[in-house]
Amino acid sequence: MNIRRARTIYVKELVDILRDRRTLAAMILAPIVLYPLLMLGGIQAASSQTENIKDERIVVGFEKEWQWNDVVRPLLEEERDLLTKQRAAAEARGADVDELAEIPVPLGEFIDAKSTAQLEASIREQSVHCGVIVLPGNDGSSPSDVQITLTIVTQKEQVRSEIAARRLQSALDRVGEHRRDMTLRTLNIDPRIVEPIVIKFRKLITPGSVLGLILPFILVLMTVTGAIYPAIDLTAGERERGTLETLMVCPVPVIDLIVGKFMAVTTIAIIAAALNIASVTATVYFGGLQEAMAMDPSAEGGDDGFPWWAFPVVLFTLIPFAVLMSAIMLAVCACARTFKEAQNYIMPVIMLVLVPGGIAALPGTKLEGVMIVVPVANMVLLTRDLLSGAALGASTFAWVLLSTSLYAAVSVAVAAQVFGKESVLFADSLSLRAMLSRRLIKPSRWPTLSGAGLYAATLFPIWFYVQSALQRAVDDDMADVLRWSAILMPVFFLGVPAAMVSYWKIDARATFRLGVPTLRHLAAAVLIGLAAWAPAHELFVLQEHYIATPPALAESNKALDVALTSMPFALAFTVIALVPAVCEEAFFRGFLLSGLRGAFRDRTAILFAAAAFAAFHFFIFRFPVTMVLGVVLGWLCLRSGSVWTAILMHALHNGVAVVLVRWPEYQTAVGLSATDPWSHLPARTLIPSLLALLVAWWIARRPDPSEATKTSPILTSSDDSGTL
Amino acid sequence: MIVVDNLLKIFPTADGHDKRAVDGVSFRVDAGRIYGLLGPNGAGKTTTLRMLSGLMAPTAGRAILAGHDVATHPREVKQSIGFLTANTGLYQRLSPRDVLIYFGKLHGFDRARAEARAAELIKWLEMDDFADMRCGALSTGQKQRTSIGRALVADPPILILDEPTLGLDVLSNRLILDFICRERTEGKTIILSTHYLDEAETMCDQIALLHNGAIVAEGTIEELRQRTGTERLSNIFLQLVHADQVAEI
Repeated sequence: MNIRRARTIYVKELVDILRDRRTLAAMILAPIVLYPLLMLGGIQAASSQTENIKDERIVVGFEKEWQWNDVVRPLLEEERDLLTKQRAAAEARGADVDELAEIPVPLGEFIDAKSTAQLEASIREQSVHCGVIVLPGNDGSSPSDVQITLTIVTQKEQVRSEIAARRLQSALDRVGEHRRDMTLRTLNIDPRIVEPIVIKFRKLITPGSVLGLILPFILVLMTVTGAIYPAIDLTAGERERGTLETLMVCPVPVIDLIVGKFMAVTTIAIIAAALNIASVTATVYFGGLQEAMAMDPSAEGGDDGFPWWAFPVVLFTLIPFAVLMSAIMLAVCACARTFKEAQNYIMPVIMLVLVPGGIAALPGTKLEGVMIVVPVANMVLLTRDLLSGAALGASTFAWVLLSTSLYAAVSVAVAAQVFGKESVLFADSLSLRAMLSRRLIKPSRWPTLSGAGLYAATLFPIWFYVQSALQRAVDDDMADVLRWSAILMPVFFLGVPAAMVSYWKIDARATFRLGVPTLRHLAAAVLIGLAAWAPAHELFVLQEHYIATPPALAESNKALDVALTSMPFALAFTVIALVPAVCEEAFFRGFLLSGLRGAFRDRTAILFAAAAFAAFHFFIFRFPVTMVLGVVLGWLCLRSGSVWTAILMHALHNGVAVVLVRWPEYQTAVGLSATDPWSHLPARTLIPSLLALLVAWWIARRPDPSEATKTSPILTSSDDSGTL
Repeated sequence: MIVVDNLLKIFPTADGHDKRAVDGVSFRVDAGRIYGLLGPNGAGKTTTLRMLSGLMAPTAGRAILAGHDVATHPREVKQSIGFLTANTGLYQRLSPRDVLIYFGKLHGFDRARAEARAAELIKWLEMDDFADMRCGALSTGQKQRTSIGRALVADPPILILDEPTLGLDVLSNRLILDFICRERTEGKTIILSTHYLDEAETMCDQIALLHNGAIVAEGTIEELRQRTGTERLSNIFLQLVHADQVAEI
């Protein structure tokens, strides 16, 4: 990819978009004018409606005159007397205005009684708010009838009905409690005896927590809204205006075009979302909505109540979010031939984005388990946790950003693959059908980056979920987890890629590098496989100086050691060394590396494949060392032109670990301390290991002659083989 | 300069049968010549030109432009061609100068060189009056001049022109034809696809008549006249197409 050319495209697209009035209106007018109006208007309307309901007159229905006249009305009159006396007493002792305001106004002032033959029907048609039923014998009319039983009838889904019932209940309760207290006092009993336990609530609220629940979701909507128009305009709009054909005939690789466009869409999305956040924050602050947002200075747990620090935090999380959204939008819109078609494609995508976003916005959802790698949901949860000040592990934070970046990169790769394809360029080619029709697929040597990348991105959360589910299913029995992993790994890492390669008529031998390696490359693989553990250990020790091993990893390592010791050696070697070596190498150094080599230079492709390899191990602490091993495996694989060398090296490397765990005497022999796992290795182990690696490098540095003559399968804009 | 060998393009159709849009087309164009591709709608002219310019991948066959195979070296081919069609759009919110500079940069020019080349083309194509207006506000003729400038920005040795005069008024039409003649004089290799037979008659050094994706006749206008015994190209065309249809039956 040429950065200068991508920048040229970026600048042009940005100028083009910013000269469009519709974009400017959507980007600036909506947040600055619309959202303050909507928020202020909506909240004020909602709160004034609640106030109105609280103060408005209520209509209580009854079926028989005596129920009202002989039972309810006297009770309400009793409440009036009670409250009048209470107010007079307060005034007499010189109570202040606040105290007087707390004495309720008698309900009788607000109540209308209505006789109705069909009580339930009247409530349903809302001519009365609630109804009262008193059964004969429970009306308190006879001296033996010490308890009055009332049934209040409400319509559950009617807010007014519920509020009216609550107001009536509260007034009657007041009378009931007064009568009880009077009776007890007459009997010379302390009224408190009937209520031996009094429970009061004091609800703490973290300033910004409500904002934290709302803001991430607004962020999702705003970022999506900001990205929609430019994404459509720069892809389907370009085709519709006839400029795409002109652009595609320029000598510019599609990846440069799409990266330039992607950066422009991302910039607009970030500006739009930042304006929205600023507008929401300003509206909350200047509009006096702090209380509604749980940011009242009087609320406990905060100093000034208003989370100013939230603004840069949100902006920070906004960037990967906008990157992901822009990439997804661009990939979707790149498939469309017209503006209208793009809009049709966008709608389901927005729904797909809103579902995980909405789930994450639910108060009970936590940023843990598989949620860490669920696209969109993980960002919503991360933003929420940052805003509410929840404790957040560095590993969780890193995984969220890493997985989001991975999904964004794959979306860009997909957009690059689709953009400018003749199926999109020319309506007459019917190439969508051609793309899906196997008989018209031309055989190709390598998978495309988007095909391989898309599968890797899909597999990432799936494999994460499989691992978590396995641990739960076997109750964290590591031996069972290893066995089941060894059974499932070939399906996901070998079977599915092989099926894809077969369907799209891709050369399996070239893709998975199945060629026979030379003896010198095999020898190098043996040397690295047997010696690499020592420098890897030293790297871990070095890392331990700066970052302590997380307890979860230490526990997992211990459980692994126990499991490996408990099973037969052949089985331990199979599940730890053999199966992962075959499956992971076929996938990372075969399928994925072949796809990456189509778009990047060999060095970059090896680095990306190694990063993916490290990411799939799901422990951020082990990421750097695993990535270094991935780089060595990728280098050896390309030098030898064969995946077998990588498999051999990988199997031996893991095999050495199994041997050291099962036979502790070997640990002592090589100088590994039984008490301090992070002590340095002695020179007698380290020097031969480094020498072995040096020899391996020396004998493998020259590539396999047949591999050296092969050209990198760089994709071109005209490549329309319909392959992966 | 251009060698096309047995070019084939197959599209799948809704009824499941393949449509051979271009069916074994072969021809050769030397430098400084105008090669005319003539034929009715759906004959395969546009598909052929799209394959030559690297916008579509051929199902089979080869096309070599300026020494580069379009299937294996599409970027080099794109570096060597200027592509202009009647449907070519311009960025409405950019000025003609912006467009020329932008495409100059896409061809690998630095900013100074792109600006100098844009200024040169603006002067040559007499675009000074509207060079800094937005393309959305230009007349059809002004837009066509901008499009010509865009196609010539990298001074390519090959020009591929797909019905460049379609729907133009007389003045704009004249402008395009003058430009084509001038480019031929400068030694450019030009492929011209057109519906207008009189235009082809006066402009093209060699003509290929396409029908149902295949070339039914090829040669200079004189050779075609001798072969059919008719004078006007329209009659030649009808006669050859009719003969082709009879042969099909």
